[in-house]
Amino acid sequence: MTETLSPAQPLVVEEGEEQRGFAGTNVPRKEDKRLVQGQGVYFDDVKRHGMGYAHFVRSPYAHANITSIDVSKAEALEGVYGTLIGEEVAALTDPFFQLATPPGAHIKDYALAVGKVRHVGEPVAIVVAATRELARDAADLVEVDYEPLGAVTDARRALDPETPVLHEEAGSNLSWEGVYEWGDVEGAFAEADHVVKISELHFDRFNSTPLECDGAVVEYNRGTGQWTIHTNNQFPGFAAIMMGPAMRTGLDKLRFVTQDIGGGFGNKITSHPQLVACCLLARKLHRPINWTEWRTEFHLTMSHGNERWFLDTEVAVKADGTLLGFRTKALDDAGAFLRYEPLGGVIWAQVTPGCYRWRNVRLDFTQVVTNKAPCSPNRGYSRMQHLWFTERMIDIVAHELGLDPVEVRKKNYVKAEEMPYTTPNGCVYDSGDYARMLDVALELIGYEGLAERRADAESRGKLFGFGIGSTLDSGTNNFGQSRLINPELQFSGNNEVATVKLDIFGEIVVTLGTTPQGQSHETTAAIVVADILGVTPDDVNVRAGHDTYWNSHAGFSGTYASQFAVTGLGAVKGAAEKLAGEIKKLGSVILGCPESELELADGFVRMKANAEAALPLMACGAIINANNAGLPEDLDVTLNARYVYRPPFELPDVERKYGNLTLTYAAQVHAALVEVDPETGVYEIVQYAAIDDCGKRIHPQIVEGQVMGATAHALGAATHETFTYDAEGNLLTPNFYDYHVPHAMDMPPLKTGYIESPSPFTALGTKGMGEGGGAGIHAVCAALQDALAPRGRPVVYDSCNPYHRVWELLQDPEASRRRVEVISK
Amino acid sequence: MRLEGEKTFDAPRDTVWRVLNSPEAMAKTMPGVESFDIQDEQHWTANVKIPLGLGGLKMKIRMEKTDEREPEFATLNARGEGVGAIMNMSTAFELSENGPGSTSMKWTADVSIAGPVGSMGQRVLQPIVNQQVGNVLASLEQQVEAAK
Repeated sequence: MTETLSPAQPLVVEEGEEQRGFAGTNVPRKEDKRLVQGQGVYFDDVKRHGMGYAHFVRSPYAHANITSIDVSKAEALEGVYGTLIGEEVAALTDPFFQLATPPGAHIKDYALAVGKVRHVGEPVAIVVAATRELARDAADLVEVDYEPLGAVTDARRALDPETPVLHEEAGSNLSWEGVYEWGDVEGAFAEADHVVKISELHFDRFNSTPLECDGAVVEYNRGTGQWTIHTNNQFPGFAAIMMGPAMRTGLDKLRFVTQDIGGGFGNKITSHPQLVACCLLARKLHRPINWTEWRTEFHLTMSHGNERWFLDTEVAVKADGTLLGFRTKALDDAGAFLRYEPLGGVIWAQVTPGCYRWRNVRLDFTQVVTNKAPCSPNRGYSRMQHLWFTERMIDIVAHELGLDPVEVRKKNYVKAEEMPYTTPNGCVYDSGDYARMLDVALELIGYEGLAERRADAESRGKLFGFGIGSTLDSGTNNFGQSRLINPELQFSGNNEVATVKLDIFGEIVVTLGTTPQGQSHETTAAIVVADILGVTPDDVNVRAGHDTYWNSHAGFSGTYASQFAVTGLGAVKGAAEKLAGEIKKLGSVILGCPESELELADGFVRMKANAEAALPLMACGAIINANNAGLPEDLDVTLNARYVYRPPFELPDVERKYGNLTLTYAAQVHAALVEVDPETGVYEIVQYAAIDDCGKRIHPQIVEGQVMGATAHALGAATHETFTYDAEGNLLTPNFYDYHVPHAMDMPPLKTGYIESPSPFTALGTKGMGEGGGAGIHAVCAALQDALAPRGRPVVYDSCNPYHRVWELLQDPEASRRRVEVISK
Repeated sequence: MRLEGEKTFDAPRDTVWRVLNSPEAMAKTMPGVESFDIQDEQHWTANVKIPLGLGGLKMKIRMEKTDEREPEFATLNARGEGVGAIMNMSTAFELSENGPGSTSMKWTADVSIAGPVGSMGQRVLQPIVNQQVGNVLASLEQQVEAAK
């Protein structure tokens, strides 16, 4: 059950200005027809003559030396085309470039394990055969001898002297560490009336559940030495710069092609090792290679979200509830390899103060490697952990000091009139009104009637709780932040490309560098182009997906990190305006009037004063492309406009770790009501409200879909989704039986609401908004803490609270309370 | 996972020792043994099919006697490989005389299972392992009786 609350005045419109065009309306999605009819083309739909199917042989051990690999029995099987093992990979490629400074920089990461395995499921060999099933069977014939080693699965033990070291080259399990400090932290604690200490909080390891697992169909053209990679990797710009140097080839030899992708959520950013293995096989075996990941492989090895501990936290608070600052030690578990890490070590800093005005922050960040699946971005990447922690501090402070969590938030939220707001570390929150969002959330959740609901629940023997989560979805990265991790890195800014052209018969064709996975880029790009060219979205053909051959891409092209509405649509707008300018230029020649007297409307370029004097866009396309004799020699019009959008970023100050790290800040305020069975710890989310502010909404229904999906994702993470390892490094939750993602029946009654605070920094007033689920994780934690308070005031210390953990909190509230201490002056 | 226990046999210590150190006798105690090879006094190999509920798990188990102090103490390492599972086990037993004709055996076993079967976790495997251990000890008693 869902329902949407519309504010009384949905759009901020200047007086006298009328809302026109398609932006802000729910036009039918261009993608839907082919998708609902099963006519989408995913990489696995790409078939090639003589194609071989690859299956990975994976390590059963979390940590072991490989003493021998024998593929002879597998290769002897009829229908097996060939194999690839780590030794070949080590001879044919270089280790992947590491983003870290030493010691992480010394880690050697290849497409297949070389000499040693470091997590259960690590690929050690590949078998290619005529069918998927045969390849899978033949993989069982590969004989690998291991010499097991001790494993480390607890980040808190990773740096102990007796703990086994994963990467001998690095010398220890430390991958990166850095100290962040802004403001006057000592001063804040001196000024504080209360210091609230929290010894340990834990953010759990989980990931997303794209309907489509990873994979590729890779072809090698022997004549040109070029690979064509049909894949669902969601960040080809990153994959290319990882793969090219490792494969000792230029990026001109790597062509990435996507059409439809069944979800990504960041988890499909780091498939470059598998893609390299497929490229090597395509060249070795002289045939196209299909690799389609099995679901268990996805669970076991692909892209877990970062697990993080927050240790020895201290919060400085005034008697009136004003928050002055905090200090903590963040300990991040990156898993066995640094595939995108240690960028998580800085990405969190995009949202350093959360939604709050505290100015004094110290965070010691330490990242370690462990014998678990490698981490990669996961919807809300690295900020979600930090924002959950921030919210947990707020609620623990409120509970311990007897303050109202609603009032503490309202008192300390950054205020609407302070926008744009510069955070202690130099990030600029572009716009927003968090207190107003909270009011909308309280209205939707029925805050006024909570006392009656509580009494009703208690009369049925249930514990009743109310909780809030307020988070930010920082979008459009300034890749210059990577230099805070490693000053030597030569990345900064961001970019995306769009090309809009007008063809012979009036076709308007848009190509993008992005790799949509369900974000409706075709629809929203068509809306933006239609409004600028004076046509309808139906008249605009946005090419599906990404193809390096279109030359519509740049170094950061892809779909990740909440940015399409800014970078993608910014590029689309730039290209469409460029094309509109050219159309007018041509129109002024043909119609014999100044460009300033022309407008684009209803599919024509026409005189504003005389709509009869009009040239159809079709004629413009025909003239330039096929009927151009007699045009003035200096008419610089191609009707093929390429635009690279570049957000306005500066290089951050590496010394102070200061600067604007992201361009936009969408906000979410979620509220949850729970009822807990005090005997068993089983609980139900009985009401839920999700409020989103992502600035100007180009297509409200698409935004709504993202909000609902992100909420489901958050509720999964809050209640059941967790990757649990035993001490030997076995993943105990490698399938949907043990790793429970929310079903439709698990979803609570959900109300959504919104406000619109247009971004002053973006071309369309939009903000990226795909990752706003973190609020839900905290809303559930806070509601549980509220519900359990009458039973010894236990402290909710983990981001994931399955029923057994709630039961434990009920059984022994003191154990959790020992984590918290208040020192008052 | 670590298992341990104590079992009393109505037999002299020498008899129990003989059975425990006889590959042929031991083969008869193991679950689902399909074939058994003796390389030498220290090394044996068994092909077994372990009942796992969903179907038998075929495993080739190599055993190596690593330490012994006749007639009271021995350790044995076993390493089994099968599709979907790799098992490592190190066991030790200590025999002491309770009196004439009665021997008590203290035993420990450290079992680790890797691979997809290992992912099922202890909560699933523990009851299966306990059941198998029960079977092994019962057959061991029969072997000791037969050897008296």
